[in-house]
Amino acid sequence: MYNLLIKQFFRSKTVWLAFGIIMVLGILSIGTGKQFVIQKEEAIAKTIEKQEEHIKRQVKLHENHIGLLLYYLKFSFINPVEPLSAISIGQSDLNSHIQNVKILNLEGQKYDTDLVNPMRLQVGNLDLSFLIIFLFPLVIIALNFNVLSEEIEKGTWKMVTLQGISPFKFLIMKLGIRILFICLVLGVLFLLSKLILDIPFNTDFINIIIISYLYIFFWFSLCFFVILLRKSSNTNAITLLASWLLLVVFLPVLVNNYIINKYPVDEAFTMTIKQRDEYHKRWDTDKKETMDKFYKHYPQFKKYKLQEEGFSWLWYYAMQQMGDDESQHEKEDMYSKIKNREQLSSQIAQFFPPLQVQLAMNTIANTSLTNHVDFLNETTNFHEKIRLQFYPKIFENQKASAVNWEVYKPEFFISTANFSWIKNILPMTLITIVLIGFAVFRNFRYFN
Amino acid sequence: MRINLVILICKQFFKKTFFSKGLFVLLTLFLIVLTYITVNGWYTFEEHHHVVEHHQGKERQSWEANPDKHPHRMAHFGSFVFRIQHPLSIFDSGIESYTGNAIFLEAHKQHTANFSEASLSTGLMRFGDLNIAILLQLVLPLIIFFIGYASITSEKENGTLKVIYIQGTSIKEVLFGKTLGLFLIAALFFIPALIALWSISFIETHTVNSALVLRALLISISYVLFFFILCCITVIISGKSENSNKSLLTLLGGWLLFFIIIPKTAQVVGNSIYPNVSKIEFKANIENEVLKQGDSHDPNDPQFNKLRDSILKANNVSDTKDLPFNYGGFLMSKGEAQTAKIYANQHNKLIKTYQKQNSITNSLVLFNPYLAIKNISMGLSGTDFNTYTNFLVQTEKYRYMQSQYMNDLQMKYISNEAKSSEGKVHIVKSDYWKSIPKFNYEFVSLSKTLKHQILALLSFSIWLAIMLIIMTKFSNHFKII
Repeated sequence: MYNLLIKQFFRSKTVWLAFGIIMVLGILSIGTGKQFVIQKEEAIAKTIEKQEEHIKRQVKLHENHIGLLLYYLKFSFINPVEPLSAISIGQSDLNSHIQNVKILNLEGQKYDTDLVNPMRLQVGNLDLSFLIIFLFPLVIIALNFNVLSEEIEKGTWKMVTLQGISPFKFLIMKLGIRILFICLVLGVLFLLSKLILDIPFNTDFINIIIISYLYIFFWFSLCFFVILLRKSSNTNAITLLASWLLLVVFLPVLVNNYIINKYPVDEAFTMTIKQRDEYHKRWDTDKKETMDKFYKHYPQFKKYKLQEEGFSWLWYYAMQQMGDDESQHEKEDMYSKIKNREQLSSQIAQFFPPLQVQLAMNTIANTSLTNHVDFLNETTNFHEKIRLQFYPKIFENQKASAVNWEVYKPEFFISTANFSWIKNILPMTLITIVLIGFAVFRNFRYFN
Repeated sequence: MRINLVILICKQFFKKTFFSKGLFVLLTLFLIVLTYITVNGWYTFEEHHHVVEHHQGKERQSWEANPDKHPHRMAHFGSFVFRIQHPLSIFDSGIESYTGNAIFLEAHKQHTANFSEASLSTGLMRFGDLNIAILLQLVLPLIIFFIGYASITSEKENGTLKVIYIQGTSIKEVLFGKTLGLFLIAALFFIPALIALWSISFIETHTVNSALVLRALLISISYVLFFFILCCITVIISGKSENSNKSLLTLLGGWLLFFIIIPKTAQVVGNSIYPNVSKIEFKANIENEVLKQGDSHDPNDPQFNKLRDSILKANNVSDTKDLPFNYGGFLMSKGEAQTAKIYANQHNKLIKTYQKQNSITNSLVLFNPYLAIKNISMGLSGTDFNTYTNFLVQTEKYRYMQSQYMNDLQMKYISNEAKSSEGKVHIVKSDYWKSIPKFNYEFVSLSKTLKHQILALLSFSIWLAIMLIIMTKFSNHFKII
């Protein structure tokens, strides 16, 4: 029985076509991911190499002026690239993964973007997550929409029921073959990506695999549900395609549009103007006032007194500090808006598996907006650390040669994001179970 | 071909489809979504416009509020440019969400345009943007396919095609009639969308003077052609297919291939073949070039020392302090000119690489009407790649002007005795800040936009010709049973 069903399944041209398309795009997508990761890693390697060269050169140029030297020196802070990001590139192509910061006013430095072709950004990435979220459902639909209706339309269903085996079992067998096929194809893709992308077999990778399979099961359950409505093949095809369009194309776009408009981040502009103005206006205001603010922020530096006349680095860095300190409020407003966007996104996504899967994969692969915001916040801490190391040296006008420059190597961000199983997997599993349950319940009398 | 027969078949198809119950639901849904998108997009545009103008005003205010000071302080005070959107971005937002919205312009240093909408958004952003053009480019074709897939096959399946043929109607006339009928149905959907487009172009005229009406006209014509071609394709495929099922599957498969897979793959392949430099390499290239040509910030730079010596000689003095102008200002203006040139060179190279990346997509417009309409629509709506790079060029030009303006002031009015820009000693009157012109953004002119879209426009005429040829030539070999 199984043999015959499998033979029948592989006779269909649709199967081979679907298999061909998925394999070609699958390999292309893994290749794209690989290239993406390699490019990012090359940039990291170059950054590490550059920083050493840069520090050496600048130290030589400004050996006796440590204040001026630190005006030029840049320190790199890097968000490392996970091999998994090749599977789900997410938002990581939009935001720079390397920060090169001077100890000056930070808010004017850390939002600089990478060099990426905006056309590419708009078209989006062809990574494995896109394949899974976008194309797999279509293949599942193409394989399943007429599983039952075709038999009914061709009149073979009556023959099946006459065979004496349970028609329900027969249907499950047919579906089972399709599920197995899709699962195998997906498995092959994951295996390929593991080998090509050198992904370690850890919990993150397993999480991505599990989520992908659950998503596939969701689409099978949706097909199962529609098939058992016992409509014609054409109606099934149109219903399933319409659901695909709705779930994968329209709703995400609508949801995103709603979120963006609900929380516009105008504060970004306000903040960026403020951080400039607050630093620059200090050139013309009372020095004492600037210094008082600075001492209030860093009481440990009170011992460094300002000279009466002329330019001093103590005053200069205090002014720079004001850019950050006084734009704090606007910055927090901006971050809270971004946070609102994130929260609302994940709240709405719970109800729609495609959104859920995309966000979950981005989170696991450290390519989400949250990851970038965490990276920005950690950049602030990194910057503060460097600042505090150099402030006393500058204020005491130490010699540049007295500093151990070897220590200043680029540092890496360690993501502490945690992935919540319940939040990500429960809703989708529930939807799947409800769909299957409802379909079975409705058709109970047919199969008894 | 008898026109009255074509019209008869067209009428029949239109009536039959128009009074089917599905169409009414579909049309209502479409119009509701269209209205929502238009109102929402318009509102967002106005809001954004307001935010940009507010911040641009505020930015200028704080620029002008600067007291008398050393001009070099102003060169670093710098200015922000917040990018204004083209009013037609309500219709087609193109790459708008992915392009930077704020750029900081100061002396010696070129910054990136930051805070693109996408960089502040979650992963949901990547499913796409919501605008009228998406409805027209992705959704309406599907609707046309759904409505038209059985246009011929159903007649075949019912056996009515035979009857029509026996009554003396040629297949050519049937094809043309059905195409026209389908096109009229499609018009029920796209005309309201074009009305939305036209109302934008008539109401938003105050924002820019960039030939809105002409743009809207060209967009309208392109879309009408696009839909007509799609209607032809639908009817031809329905005619070539054995049954409705196959016709539907072919059309849907075609949609997936031409509208989703090819565009995405083309861009991805383009990027893989022509990878662009990373930011760190880009900066390193500039730095190396500066080191090669001479670094004005390095007091021991041989190139600039040579320059100094020749200046001293020309003015018959032995120390820069005795020069009739501020030497620091002079040095910076030379340095600025040099680095700006080097930057422009590297930036041009980068843009060229981007263009190469886009070239695969751009050459595919000949084979893929979807890509053609996408490019035309984006270009004419002022939301395409060329508009954006042009914006960057304009900001850089302003940055250069602003920096050199400050260097000139320094050369003219700052004494060579000045050791630092601190304090109220070596200063210039604040009137000079006010007299520097504001940044005035001009959209790419229509003729330039059209130059980039010639291939896409050409593709429509080629497709149209091919469609007409297929319909007249091959229809004679039609199997009617």
